[in-house]
Amino acid sequence: MNGSRRQFLSAALVGLSRKTDRPIAGGFMNDGHNSGHQLRDRRSFSAAKHAVKIPVVIVGGGIAGLSAAWRLNKRGFRDFTLLEMAEHAGGNARWGENEISTYPWAAHYVPVPGKKAALVRELFEELGVLCNGVWEERYLCFSPQERLYLHGRWQEGIEPVTAATARDCEDFTRFAARINEFRATGQFTIPMELGAKASQLDRISIAEWLKQERFTSPYLHWYVNYACRDDYGALSADTSAWAGVHYFASREPDEKGPLTWPEGNGWITRRLLERLSPHVRTGAMVHRIARQGRKLRVFAGETEYIADFVIFAAPSFLAPHLSEGLPSVGGLSYSPWLTANLTLERLPGDAGVEPAWDNVIFDSPALGYVVATHQSLRTHIERSVWTFYWALARGSPAANRGMLLDKDWHYWKDAILADLERAHPDIRQCVSRIDILRLGHAMARPVPGFLESDERRRLIAGSGNLWFANADLSGFSIFEEAQYRGVQVAERALRALSR
Amino acid sequence: MPVVLFISVALIAACGLIYELVAGTLASYLLGDSVFQFSTVIGSYLFAMGVGSYLSRYVTRGLVARFISIELLVGMVGGFSSAALFLAFAYTQGFRLILYVVVAVIGVLVGLEIPLLMRILKSRLQFRELVAHVLTFDYLGALAASLLFPILLVPKLGMVRSALLFGIVNAGVALWSTFLFRDQLGGRSLLRAACVAVLALLSTGMAASEKITQAADNSLYADEVIFSRNTRYQRIVLTKWKDDVRLFLSSHLQFSSRDEYRYHEALVHPGLAAIPGARRVLVLGGGDGLAVREILKYPDVQSITLVDLDPEMTRLFSTHPYLVTLNQRSLTNARVHIMNSDAFPWLQQTEDVYDFVVVDFPDPTNYSLGKLYTTAFYRLLARHLSVQGLAVVQSTSPLFARQSYWCIVETLKHAGFKTHPYHLYVPSFGEWGFVLAGLYPYDPPVSVPGGLRYLSAALVPQLFQFPVDMLPVDAEPNRLNNQVLVRYYEHDWREITH
Repeated sequence: MNGSRRQFLSAALVGLSRKTDRPIAGGFMNDGHNSGHQLRDRRSFSAAKHAVKIPVVIVGGGIAGLSAAWRLNKRGFRDFTLLEMAEHAGGNARWGENEISTYPWAAHYVPVPGKKAALVRELFEELGVLCNGVWEERYLCFSPQERLYLHGRWQEGIEPVTAATARDCEDFTRFAARINEFRATGQFTIPMELGAKASQLDRISIAEWLKQERFTSPYLHWYVNYACRDDYGALSADTSAWAGVHYFASREPDEKGPLTWPEGNGWITRRLLERLSPHVRTGAMVHRIARQGRKLRVFAGETEYIADFVIFAAPSFLAPHLSEGLPSVGGLSYSPWLTANLTLERLPGDAGVEPAWDNVIFDSPALGYVVATHQSLRTHIERSVWTFYWALARGSPAANRGMLLDKDWHYWKDAILADLERAHPDIRQCVSRIDILRLGHAMARPVPGFLESDERRRLIAGSGNLWFANADLSGFSIFEEAQYRGVQVAERALRALSR
Repeated sequence: MPVVLFISVALIAACGLIYELVAGTLASYLLGDSVFQFSTVIGSYLFAMGVGSYLSRYVTRGLVARFISIELLVGMVGGFSSAALFLAFAYTQGFRLILYVVVAVIGVLVGLEIPLLMRILKSRLQFRELVAHVLTFDYLGALAASLLFPILLVPKLGMVRSALLFGIVNAGVALWSTFLFRDQLGGRSLLRAACVAVLALLSTGMAASEKITQAADNSLYADEVIFSRNTRYQRIVLTKWKDDVRLFLSSHLQFSSRDEYRYHEALVHPGLAAIPGARRVLVLGGGDGLAVREILKYPDVQSITLVDLDPEMTRLFSTHPYLVTLNQRSLTNARVHIMNSDAFPWLQQTEDVYDFVVVDFPDPTNYSLGKLYTTAFYRLLARHLSVQGLAVVQSTSPLFARQSYWCIVETLKHAGFKTHPYHLYVPSFGEWGFVLAGLYPYDPPVSVPGGLRYLSAALVPQLFQFPVDMLPVDAEPNRLNNQVLVRYYEHDWREITH
């Protein structure tokens, strides 16, 4: 009663409010293009000045590399070094911080792991996320978790329900039932390796599968397409139906999560680094790996590491640029992404339900934004940081990578604000800073045929005493796969060393 | 030339109608009963126009100058009418009287306009033409205004600015007339200066309309507003009616001075009187110092820590002459330590342990406040409670928000507490509920401090009896990741108000 009276008053009295856009600072983050392109162009690097003999070298400090290190360390094996190209480890689980909050630069959550994801559970028990079978409440995503901007209003949840017809609802129900059938087959597991079998589903795209199954609801098609763009950086028409089904069927239906932190998966990176930092060298770009007898010589900066085994945890497509005689990975496909962190001096107005953690705009080319202060225990929050996600999924990855590098910061800043403006008309009066990270090869794309592809098989096999550990071995880049691959290879190294 | 004249007729007519609509709308909104308000406003306005038209016969000389002066007057009175009425409603008892005086004054002035204008124009046109055209444009202007008002003006500009805008139009017509009728007008520069002055005043009003709006917001409260301030965190409003002072935080009633003793005695004593030798007490929320006033009745209590987010709130209750009488200067007592912090992070960073904790937060009306009622918060609270200690939680109404109340009980249980729910009747709130939470079974106190106005030791055990319509209902515990309490609360109150 009071509310409506107040609303009337403010509408009738205030009318137009003053509108002044804030000046917006910001720029591109150092995103490693230059060093990456040096590798591609086979620039000459200075010769090594000193050599270090070390049994195991891990290349790449993302979740796969850190997980390999975590496993080695946990098994009491300390004779290894992790080399990370960037100034900060983390890869897709990197994070940032300003005076308002920590915030993620890429991956920002981990679904509550099922029973099969034993390694994830082990790690989370170690980190105090899982205590005596109970998930720590502060790390479960606070409610409200998700909302969707549709038909001029924010609705609760991402499944479109505003103005859904009986037909739409019927399609969603039938889709859920089909997913339950797939879940029951036990093939759609996390890690995928434990359940995956050759499947007809991998021959077609998930968009085609929806058509074959006579799903017509445009809401359902949008929803599935959104899921593919969000998790794989690919359109549903470019995503293997197997991977599309995996996204839905691999998760527990009554999951209470996801698990998240203000800095996203950067929180896990930080906890891992606390344990592993003596072994981690950042700003150490590996530019060549050469064989010498039974040893591998790993060149990074002015140091040469002479190793018995190399765990190659960086994206696998980089390997052929570093070393001859490695398996061809030409068939691997990667999605270009852009993430941006927006500093908000105040929260913008909006219509509909209260702000959630994950906020998605229907029919937007981007993926929406995640609120870093959502996991704050404070009741009063004036300023915030939003992480905006945009997988450049339409068109070819190569063309999109070109565009990612061609367009300047102003172009992307305006594109981001124009997207947000649909749901928050006063966004330009709230944002004071936009920092943008361009990720040319953000994640593996599970295109149709990925499951049975030769590249994947060759990568899993490895090459002599060089083994691959990146999540791209699974065909898609999620935390659990990266961790699984890293740990698997660490175990392999430990077995080989004990021989 | 004639067309230009007729456009000014249309503009004048539009202005007249806008003022009438503003008065009618404001009266309906502020007083309710829109049929009555619109009928009487329109009736008295039309009658006043008739009076104005009649009075026009007494204007004999200097027609143009008079006409321009009247335009300026209409612009001033009409332009500021909306702001004046809002402020009158907020700050005076005589809103109705002022409403009809304003309507009558504008009506008389508007009633003078058309007859005078027709007489000014009579030399330029045939009478037949003149009547036909003037009245045509008069009605056209009225039509335009009646459409603009609901579609564009109220939603886009608001009432205060709409009236001011048309005041500017009136003054603009006046200024324009000094040029149109320059051959019939002496003393032009003085009139022009007056026009410019009026235009400047109205424009200033436009610029200051935000302030007027804020001031008028007080009209939300039924009683006289004796204090109001927007702080960083909330809007603090104190109202007074006879001897009843009420505190509102962001429009939610916090207490009424007439019966707050019931609330605060029941909040503090059943718990604190049952802990022999309690030394350290924590109050979360409760920046009004009223719970602290009750706690200070225990000489054994050595230190009271009060954590309230809003420094303006604790400052107000430490300094305002009336309020320090009400809380007996509790906030400036040497035993009291005030922390202006957000409670959850504050509790997380402190190591201190307390014998008694008062948790007196605003109701869980949104997800931000909902965090302060979660298992996560209560688990943290448990870590700061001494072994024999007790916490008491303000828990909304077990009658009006029954599921919310029992949800809070359930949440405390899930956080590992033994719970002891109780309730009482506070006239200004209705049935209100608290929950005592501790690690051991609870025995009601054998005595309470002397001089209480509501509570006696004999009464305490009775508070723990719940009538049938307030008995427990099923509720899930409230967690950070489900926030069911906010949903229950919204649902419970929707049931009551619809």
